[in-house]
Amino acid sequence: MNSGRLLNIILGIYVALIFCFVFAPIIFSMIFSFNSQRFPTIPLGDFTTEWYEKIFADPDIWEAALNSLIVSSSAAVIATFLGFCTAYSDYRYTFRFKGPYLALILLPPTIPLIIMALAMLAWFSKIGISGQIYSIVIAHSVLTAPFAMAVIRLRLNQMDPDLEAAAWNLGGSEWATMRHVIIPFCKPAIASALFLTAAVSFDEFAVSWFVSGLNKTLPVVILEIVQGNIDPQVNAIGTFVFLISMTLVVLAQIFFASRQLKSIRS
Amino acid sequence: MSTPLVVFDKVQKHFGDFVAVKELDFDIQRGEFLAIMGPSGCGKTTTLRMLAGLEAPTLGEIRLDGKVMNDVPPHARDTPLVWQSLALFPFLSARENVEFGLKMRGIAPAERKERALKWLEKMGILEFADRDISTLSGGQKQRVALARSLVMEPQILLLDEPLSALDAHLVIRMQAVLTDLQRELGITFVYVTHSQSEAFAMADRVVIMGDGKIAQIGTPKDIYREPANQFVAEFVGRNNILSGTVTSLSADTAKIVTTSGEFTVPITTVALREGQNASFVISADLVHIATQKPTRGNAVQCRLISEEFVGSMVTLFLEDAQGHEFKVQMQERELSKFDIKGGTKIWLSWETQTAHILNES
Amino acid sequence: MTTTPRKRIGLYELTWRLPIIVWQCVFFAGPVLFMVAMSFFLVRNYRMTEAFDFANWERMLTRGFFWDSYLYTVMIAAVSTVCAMCIAFPAAYALALRASETTRRWAIFLLIIPFFTSYLVRTFSWFVILSESGVINALLANIGLGPFTMLNTSFGTLVGYMTLTLPLVVILQTVTMANIDRTLIEAARNLGCKPMATIWQVIIPLSKTGLIIAAIFCFILSFGDFVAPFYLGGSQEPTLPILILDTTKSGQQWPRAAVVAIMMMLTLFAIAFAGIALAYRKRKGAK
Repeated sequence: MNSGRLLNIILGIYVALIFCFVFAPIIFSMIFSFNSQRFPTIPLGDFTTEWYEKIFADPDIWEAALNSLIVSSSAAVIATFLGFCTAYSDYRYTFRFKGPYLALILLPPTIPLIIMALAMLAWFSKIGISGQIYSIVIAHSVLTAPFAMAVIRLRLNQMDPDLEAAAWNLGGSEWATMRHVIIPFCKPAIASALFLTAAVSFDEFAVSWFVSGLNKTLPVVILEIVQGNIDPQVNAIGTFVFLISMTLVVLAQIFFASRQLKSIRS
Repeated sequence: MSTPLVVFDKVQKHFGDFVAVKELDFDIQRGEFLAIMGPSGCGKTTTLRMLAGLEAPTLGEIRLDGKVMNDVPPHARDTPLVWQSLALFPFLSARENVEFGLKMRGIAPAERKERALKWLEKMGILEFADRDISTLSGGQKQRVALARSLVMEPQILLLDEPLSALDAHLVIRMQAVLTDLQRELGITFVYVTHSQSEAFAMADRVVIMGDGKIAQIGTPKDIYREPANQFVAEFVGRNNILSGTVTSLSADTAKIVTTSGEFTVPITTVALREGQNASFVISADLVHIATQKPTRGNAVQCRLISEEFVGSMVTLFLEDAQGHEFKVQMQERELSKFDIKGGTKIWLSWETQTAHILNES
Repeated sequence: MTTTPRKRIGLYELTWRLPIIVWQCVFFAGPVLFMVAMSFFLVRNYRMTEAFDFANWERMLTRGFFWDSYLYTVMIAAVSTVCAMCIAFPAAYALALRASETTRRWAIFLLIIPFFTSYLVRTFSWFVILSESGVINALLANIGLGPFTMLNTSFGTLVGYMTLTLPLVVILQTVTMANIDRTLIEAARNLGCKPMATIWQVIIPLSKTGLIIAAIFCFILSFGDFVAPFYLGGSQEPTLPILILDTTKSGQQWPRAAVVAIMMMLTLFAIAFAGIALAYRKRKGAK
């Protein structure tokens, strides 16, 4: 066995170990969600679905889940719209202060969430929009718009630079061109942006915790449970949400990939 | 004499400090196939884009059918453009691509479909109507792009180097398609290219641009035989350019002394004075070769440097005693009558009438 | 693409450019700027009043506990960054330069999955796994080792930070190294450079920009996270985010929290600045 192959095997094992570390908490959480022990350890307790039964019977958790759904879908729509506007403006126009313009949308991910949480809590309180569901929607739209913008901007890079002008040339006004050419072309990216921003919003807890007041989202409920005692309900919630997210992601990938295959050749 | 379809009236285009088009003054006649040709950066594409409304002239007017178009947005003009990159819509089928312009005009779906299919059939690609355009070959896409523009039944069609992305054998075929189409439809074609062979093969008239200005407008033959100035002469075709001083003038000829000898040149529209510097050009295919010194006046002795064969044509590259390069173009079977090798001394000669004085500008 | 048929800004152009300006100014710039202003406000009788006073700044910056926390946070975030970058590197090297395209795509896809799980739940999971009677100690007990105290220590905090940052760092490093020009590596080998040496001499310099960006993101994430030090580190040594949390949630002292937040942001700007300057530094004499 030459040193090249040996190195490859060692590296392969190393990568596998990394994956073990990354997935260990996820896998264990899933296992523990079906485990009867209040404080899970080896050897495992009995198989049980009591934690799932508990969370499905809890109206507060249902309300929080519903809030999370409303918030993430609303925030996704707003963030994707804002991301699209910015991506298109960046693609089509050069103008003065473009640097600060782009910085305005791209800065949020560079600021720690705890700081954004504090700042938004204070400001939203001052202008009287704190403590509501829409407060979180607004906060999340600000936090996730950069991702939407990046996804759509990348897609616009793939567009033939003459495509928009070709549509004008054939009689399409700027608005008609946007409707019949730009948006259809960006559809896969818009769909991806919606899923991506919804997913980021759904798991966000820091800003939600500060800004939501009594209208809790699911991550806030998890945070409160975790602050209390060791409660395996958290594993049940986590696993359930994870399975739903993964289903959505897989669906989005299939949807996106089939579109991508068609347009990647042109 | 009918009114021209398009008039460029003292048009200039500046991009900040850079002047892309210095001054354009020319007409485009109805029903003609006009080629605009020149090296990269000469302003030809900018000119086409101004006609399509994608750039606005900085100065001057562009008139289409007598109407000033400067402030008319691109979608309100009827100047469909066939793009260099084709710019077909990847999310639409071939037929939907062709229908696009009609859809923008608000034409009903049934009529759109009928007209689109008619044109697809005319271009010989009806079977691909509902196919995804990414599955089509380069030549087929080219035809979709043409159908998409022509289905609008415009007065004028603009083409921006449409054949530059095609394989060589397809280029020849598409040239024939385009010329036939233009003749059949009778509409005006404005064709931008950097390739002299394309322009000369298809166009009724050619506009040669250099450095943002028009160097010459004329039929292909006129330009080839009588280039207006040195830029055109060097850009177009195989020819020989000689420069020297005018020694004497008569009614219809002038004698010019160059480093290669004294030659007689016919006087045309260019005014000459004795002692003035002048250049003239002789096409390579109008130069005769001989092993003995010829009797006609314009002759120079050269040494053969190399030969270049393209099919049945051969170009000879020669040098005179002063090192000035000459080119002669002839059929291979003509050349084989002579026994010529590298280094052989050959006499070149041409009739006085075949030389052409160049404008100094 | 800057075709501009019209010279003045039309309604169309404004429609697409304006929304983000308005939205972000009100809901992003507003909060941040207000927070800066707020650091000068005063709290009297549990109510915040607008003022321009340096009292909060004085109080926070002269207290030992603030600077202890500051230095600890910077140190632990730096350690976390170094650990994450080093742990990730061999894996990223393997995926970028030794694995097939398909393997790499699958690996990156798998590494994106954690982003769709709740970070809180994962932290909670580690809490259970690392505790005195948790999975790890139970397994080690079977071979006669332990029990080791892993929670309520800096080690616990680091495990938490790794959970947060490792997937991102591996992805960023992999993508960076996958995009370097392979022919340069071959050229180096051709000139006699040994495999290990090519990593130092060729691969890292070529990936410099991407690696520094990965490090900056890793530092920002670790520096700003409160979950790991709180739940796995036991807040033995409070980090700055925990300070903000305490000051806001329990003390209602938003202005003081704002001071901490601003100090954090200044530190991060300085680090990002230095990092980017390092990343884009040209050789002496180059333009």
